[in-house]
This record gives sequence, structure tokens and C-alpha cells, in this order.
Amino acid sequence: MNLEGMRAYREDESVDAVVVGTGAGGAPLIARLAAAGLKVVALEAGPNFTPERFAFDETLADEIYWTMERLSGGSTPEAFGANNSGTGVGGSTLHWGAFVPRADARDLRLHTESGMGVDWPLAYEDLRPFYERVEQFLGVSGAQAYPWDAARRYPLPPVPRNGPAQIMAQACEARGIRWADAPAAVVSQDFQSEDGPRRNACINCGFCHQGCRNGAKASMDVTYLPFAVSRGAEIRAEAFVHGLERGADGRITGVVYRQDGQDRRQRCGTVFLCAGAVETPRLLLHLGLANSSGQVGRNYMGHVATQVWGTFPNAVRMNRGYPSSLITEDFIRPGADFAGGYLIQSLGVVPLTFGNAAARGRGLWGKPLLDYLDRYNHIAGIGINGETLPCDANVLTLSDELDARGMRKAHVSFGYSTNENRLNAHATAVMRGLWEEAGAEDIWVLERVAHTIGTCRMGRDGSSAVVDPQGRSFDIDNLWICDGSTFPSSLAANPALTIMALSLRSAEAFLAEGH
Amino acid sequence: MSEPDVLFCLHFLGGSARSWERLARALDGVPFCVPVDLPGFGDAAGTTGYSVAAMADHVAARIRTRAPARFGLVGHSMGAKVALALARRSEDGEPGLTGLTDLILISGSPPSPEPIPDERRAKMLAWIDADPETRRREARAFVTANVGQPLDVADEDRAVDDVLRAAPAAWTAWLESGAREDWGRRIGVLRTPALILAGSADADLGEDAQAALMAPHLAHHRRVTVAGVGHLLPLERPAILAERLRAHFGDRPGQADPDAPAVPPAYAALIDSERVNSRLREALGARAAPDDPAYRPTALDPVELAILRAAMGRVVPVPNLDLAARLDRRLASGEGDGWRFAALPPDADAYRAALRTLDAAARAAHGRPFVILGGNDQDTLLTLCERAELTVPDMLGGRLDADRMRFWFEDLRADAVRLWLGHPAALARIGFSGIGAGGDRDGEIADGLPGFRAVGLDSPEAWEPRAAYEGTTR
Repeated sequence: MNLEGMRAYREDESVDAVVVGTGAGGAPLIARLAAAGLKVVALEAGPNFTPERFAFDETLADEIYWTMERLSGGSTPEAFGANNSGTGVGGSTLHWGAFVPRADARDLRLHTESGMGVDWPLAYEDLRPFYERVEQFLGVSGAQAYPWDAARRYPLPPVPRNGPAQIMAQACEARGIRWADAPAAVVSQDFQSEDGPRRNACINCGFCHQGCRNGAKASMDVTYLPFAVSRGAEIRAEAFVHGLERGADGRITGVVYRQDGQDRRQRCGTVFLCAGAVETPRLLLHLGLANSSGQVGRNYMGHVATQVWGTFPNAVRMNRGYPSSLITEDFIRPGADFAGGYLIQSLGVVPLTFGNAAARGRGLWGKPLLDYLDRYNHIAGIGINGETLPCDANVLTLSDELDARGMRKAHVSFGYSTNENRLNAHATAVMRGLWEEAGAEDIWVLERVAHTIGTCRMGRDGSSAVVDPQGRSFDIDNLWICDGSTFPSSLAANPALTIMALSLRSAEAFLAEGH
Repeated sequence: MSEPDVLFCLHFLGGSARSWERLARALDGVPFCVPVDLPGFGDAAGTTGYSVAAMADHVAARIRTRAPARFGLVGHSMGAKVALALARRSEDGEPGLTGLTDLILISGSPPSPEPIPDERRAKMLAWIDADPETRRREARAFVTANVGQPLDVADEDRAVDDVLRAAPAAWTAWLESGAREDWGRRIGVLRTPALILAGSADADLGEDAQAALMAPHLAHHRRVTVAGVGHLLPLERPAILAERLRAHFGDRPGQADPDAPAVPPAYAALIDSERVNSRLREALGARAAPDDPAYRPTALDPVELAILRAAMGRVVPVPNLDLAARLDRRLASGEGDGWRFAALPPDADAYRAALRTLDAAARAAHGRPFVILGGNDQDTLLTLCERAELTVPDMLGGRLDADRMRFWFEDLRADAVRLWLGHPAALARIGFSGIGAGGDRDGEIADGLPGFRAVGLDSPEAWEPRAAYEGTTR
């Protein structure tokens, strides 16, 4: 993004806030705090990119994925990197799918409802105004009448339904399942970002996950961050935070980061950790901070994100169009033998992602693999995002192995429990049925885990939670966490929109204290 | 190209310059043979310096003395390892050693430690400095054990005499250390055209060992197995050897330009069009470039790279594309994909251990290295990996257990398919249109990209490519 003319703060000047990470967790609050006149410095581990350079190529897109190695264990090891973790000014939103359902109100009180999982220390009504602010600011496109929430209005008309979406819509229709054009943080028409660039309407290139070239997708570098810079925030790229300095009273006094091979220090009044549910707990565990509850790293969650693929007689050409342009929320409460539920989305993916799935997930190799890849233009997918309950066995710890900077690598142990297995079985049967209905041949199931959630849960009680319902650390009152790590449970919805809403909510709480 | 001016001939353990007399006669001066007594052998029995490097220095001095414009190196067994070390120095441009045109490797001891069974090594060490009678008896047994058919009496007597002329210290040094020196990475992959000869009746350094341990170091080679011959081809069949040399000089391997998968003209035209951005065009061009046959691996050693090539050939069977070399380059760069299975060691270590385990499995099941197995047998072993059923005991060379081999094989499949699908020939084959969503634009945010207008079912735009199997006509 364009950082020309950006305000610069001295390192020895104690700024009001240092924000670690510029993705969905960091960017909204950077913008909000800067707009309130606070001195804000954002530290981003990755480089600053120019959208135009993204090249419609999956291999070249490696530059926007967080590729510092993580060790993945447990009974359902999760893939990181391109699957969920980004680097660069804008964080993971550089490659996110921009699929932005809101959380279902029931998911926030799952324990009350089912006796399983946990309740969030806040309600849907607490989040709704922030959801609306984010949707307006980003220019979310979506169904103009949302079947599962009569009150909801998306700011922009939906993006076009692509091949997989048309197939899924027909199948849902035949099976009496409600469907809608998906809420997508991709502008369906030209859109002027507030104090930011003019974003061009989506051109249906299908490369959301490889970086958007024309500003259509609401990555933070074309939305909240230009706004933040216009209001006086400073963003420092290629600044990897590895230390927090504290005063005699235990409060944070500065942030230590490595840039251009040198350690630098930025003094600050408050620090916001927004590095995501792997790097945030990794830093805290590395430093041994904010963990009197013993909860840092615990209850790691990835969504159950199983996909079903099939081959169709039609020319589907699934690479064209917004990849997940159809949704159904009819299974948020399927009333089956498990707590919570899932949403279903249509899927189109680009070739390496597809080949990777076929080779890893379907186990194809040799001639069968090449023959299957040949069918690429006739294949369409459908997938879920399903609730994962917090679980003691699912935990992020530090491995004994060091990374290039000498910091211990993250080791994530993750596995499904009974609830996830039941949900998965239910969803797989539903998706298979839909694809059979649609006339798919050669149907197969890709077991997959998505997103990084949990590890610094929010709660009302400092003995069992890392941060309070606003995101403030119970242990260190000028340390806040605003990213997916504070989620007490996974929710069925994809996390980014909720992360952004929580980010704004934290910012308002911080400002309300008179900062 | 014609014959080199001179062939420097390096003998086997227990041989000498005399071992080449009949070959020299058969070649009749074209090219001219210069047999060399290596330190501790023949007329150089009093010379010390028995390491591979020292023996190579000894030969280098002879080469410099003659200063030929074009020369070949003929190495037999132990001498082959010395020849390989010299070839590396020559290719690295060492003054006085340039002009190497050919490598002739006869039952060669490979760059990596020679696969001699421990009991045979122990036996050979036991008698070399025993009493004269034992020495004479065992030396003859050594010669007769290493031939396919008995030599004639005079040749056999001379061969036995040569063994007895050798300095026991040189003999011992080779068995205890020279043969065990690991030159695999130092020698790497040589570009010099090579002829790899083996005897069908050779025990340890026959065609399997040559294929698995020697050939991976030679980018341009031809392997020939001579029927009925043991380990001592220059003594056993000098006429056949001479004939093979002449055939080699007349048709050296690796003279053709390397091939690469073809990108069909229509797809190449799309890549060249303004629908494709220049960064992508450049990347596709780089991926389409032919692989260097002499690619020198760094994460893996050349022997492991050969096993990976064989496995890759089963996982993504496309000709003329060295996915293994491309993967080695990525492994060496340290640029991973951001995660790995916690059960596996770091990527490069996992690959090395897994490939050695796969090879050990082939040897345990078939008595042959993985690289030389037929495709069906290779597939059977890979299928066992896939099912977490490939178990090789440590003592047989297994380094990863069955569960880890399953994880590794999943990684291999993914790495292979990702590398393949980056290639424009692969994108053309599946009819992928996404590369054409828009070319270069000025400014930070691209304006006016064409993208796709129609995105629904059965609505291809006129310019979109079709998959190869569907044909190119609409």
C-alpha cells in the first residue's frame, strides 16, 4: 500500500499504542485509535506489497503466506501457511477468502443451549453494531434479503454466482434447502474507500487467495490501513516483534522488534497483540507473560472444514468468479446428535490448491492423478465451516526446535472430538446428497481443517481466561489481544468478520477509558 | 567429436599399470593409453599417500607432465573413484587438468562408501600381511573369485603377482578408509560424458550398484553390462572393452539439448498476450526452461536425488521434467510452506531419511535398489507408504517408521503436484484460463483488468483454452 507522507514517530517517544500485526485483528483498531487522535504505531512482520504486483499465480503468492514453519500434530493435523496464515501489511487479509457471514447469535451461548462448549462473555447484540460498521466500511456484497436474518442488509449487491454456486443453488432448491448469494467482502461495483483508494469492482478473476490486484477484495491494505495512515498512524513493515519491555510495576513500557537485522524498541503506553492465534500465544509463551491463568496456548481450534468434490458434464470452470459465491445457513442448528452446527458454501479453487487436495486428501498419484487433474474445468466443490468445541487436548506449545531468529517454533496439537466427528459425518452426508442431487460423478470427500482460533480465550474470570470481554489482559492492564486467539469457541461462521468487529469493540472500550 | 589424445588408466585394488597392457594393445594407440601405477601398487609400491585425494594428486602429476590437450580417464574399481575425484577437479577448472573429454568407469567404486560386506572386507584384511604361502594362496583366490570365467594361466599369474607386489599398507588403507571415504557431495554431478561398465557376474559393484550409486553422479552417461564378466573386465575381456570404448567415442551420451515438456502454441500465445501480466509470464518462462541434466543437488545427495527422481516419476509421470531437482532446490532454499507434520523431522532431513528408507525397502524386498526396479514394483512400495505399511528394520537401513513414511509420502505427492501444476505445460493440459485474467497496469491498484465477464456454467469466453483431452476445437 501507499505509505508516502505517512507520519513517523520517534522510537523513544512513548506512543499511545503499539499494535502488533496489521490483519483483521489489528487494522480496524489502528484506524479507530488513529481517528480518535491517538499516536499509533503498527508493527507488521511482513513486507509492504503493492496490489498490482499480485500475479494470478499460486506459487508466486507464497510471498503473502506466513511460511515460518509450525509443527502440526494431533489426530487431525492442520495445514498452516497458505491455508490460513498471512504476512505483509494487511496480514492474512491479503489472501483471505473474504467470506463474511456473521456469527449466529446461538453460537455465542452454546453452553447455555446445549450444555457443551462455552458461552461467550458477550452477546450477539453486543457485536451487531460493530458487524454493521465493518460491513459498511468494507463494502460487503451480499444477498439483499438474507434468509436467516430478516433485518440484515448488505451494502452492495451480490457478486455474480459462478459455476459451483449455480450448481449448489439448483441442488439446494431441489432439496428444499434455503440458499443465498454469499456475503463477500468483495465490492461488486466500484467503491471509494473512506480516505483510501478507489477500489475497482470485482473482475471475477478467482484469485482471492493469491492477493487481489484491483482492490475489489477488502484486504486491510486497501481499507482500514489507508484510513489509519490518513489519520496519523504509522505502519512499520518487516518489523518482527519478539520482546515486550516492562516497568517495575509490570506494565508494558515498550515493544522490541527486529527490523533490517537490528533490534529496535518502540516505547508505548499500551500494546495490542493482533498477530493471530498462533503468533500471539507463541510470543506470550516465549516471554512467559500474561499467563497466570495457564490458558495461553490452550483450546486451540480449527474449524471443521470438510469439502465434497464432484465432476460435472458442464463446463464449470470453477476458477472464474468469486470462489464461494453461495451460502446456506440452514444447518447452523441441524438438530442432530451434536452441539452447534455448520454453514455450507460453494467452492471453486485454482489449480495448485485443487491438485494439492487431490494429492494429499484424495491420495491420488500417478496416472490417476494426471487423469483427474485433466477434469479440472468440469469440477466443482462444496464445503462447510463447522463448529469446533474447545478441548483440553488441543493446545499450542513451544517446540524445542528454533526458528531462524532463535525463537522456539510453535507446535500445534489438534484433533476432533466426538462432537466434531458427529458434525462432520452429518455435514458430509448432506453435501454428498447435494452433489448427488446435482448430478455429480466421481464424488469424493476432502477432510480439512481451516482457520486458527483460540489460545488466549476471553472470559469474565482471570483464573480461567487470558483476556476480559473487551480483550484486555487480566494480568497486565496495558496489554490487549485482538485477534482470533480470544475466541472462547470457534463459532460456525468464518472468523475474520467477527475478529474485525471485536477489534473495533476493543478500540471503543479502550477509548472509553479516556485514552 | 573424436577420440581423446590420451587415456590415463587407473587400476583396481591389487592391479597395476600392467593390468592395462592388453587393452592398450587392442586400442593400438587410438587413443594412446597411459597406465598409471597408483601409490602402493605396481612399480609405485614404495610410494605412499593412499587416500583418494592423495592418489588423485599422484595421477594429476602424471597428467600435468604429459599435458595433453584432450584426455580421458579410465578408472577400474578403486581407480574409478580416483578418476571421479580428478574429474571433479577438472570440471572445477583446476589448471593443468582441463581438457577432460571422457570418463570410463569399469566396475567402479562409487563416490559414496563402497558396499563391501563386512565379512569380505575382514577376510581381505586378514591375509594381506600373512606368511608368503598364505599370501600367494589367498591372492590367487582373490583373483579367481573376481572373474566370471577363469583367466588364462599367464594372465592369472601376472594378476596374482601384482597383488603380491602391492604394499600391504596400501591394500589395507583402501579397504579400511579409501573405499569408505564419502565423496558423494564433493563429486556431486559431473558433466563429462561417461561410460559406466559392469560385469554381469560382479558381486558388489555390478549393474545394480552402478545404477544406484555411480550413475547419479554422471549427468551424461551410458551404462553397459558385459555378460559373463566378473569384476576384472580389463583382464577378462580387453577386446570387448576396447570395442565399447570406440563405440563411446563415436557416440558420446548427452550431446543433444535437454528436452522440456512442450507448451502448445495456442497456450504459448495466450502467455505472450496482453491478458497475462509480465511477472507471471516471466515465472512461467522460467518454469518452462529445460532442467539442467547436471543439476547438482544440495539438500539431497546425488544418490538420494536419483531415488527421488524415480519416485517422482511414479507420482507425477510426465517426461522431460526434473521435478526432483526442482524440489531439491526448494528444500535447499529453506523456504517451506509454513508447516510440517510434527511427526516428521525438518523437510530436507525427512526427505533424505524417507528416500533411504524406500531404497532399503526395495533392497529388502527385491534385493535390488529402488531406482532399478520396474514401475510396478516401485508402485507397490509407494502404495505401502500410502497405507502406512512400509516397515524396514533399522538394521536393514530403515530410518522412518510406517506412519512417518505415510506422512512423507503425502508431502511428496503434494510437492510433486504443486511443482507440476506450476508448469505452463500442465496449465495448458488442463485448459486453465486463470492466467489470462489481466496483464500489467500502471499504479498501485490495477484498473481496467478484463477478468471474466461470464462466470456461470457453460459460458466459456472465446479466448479461454480447453483441456488437451477435450481437443482444441470448439
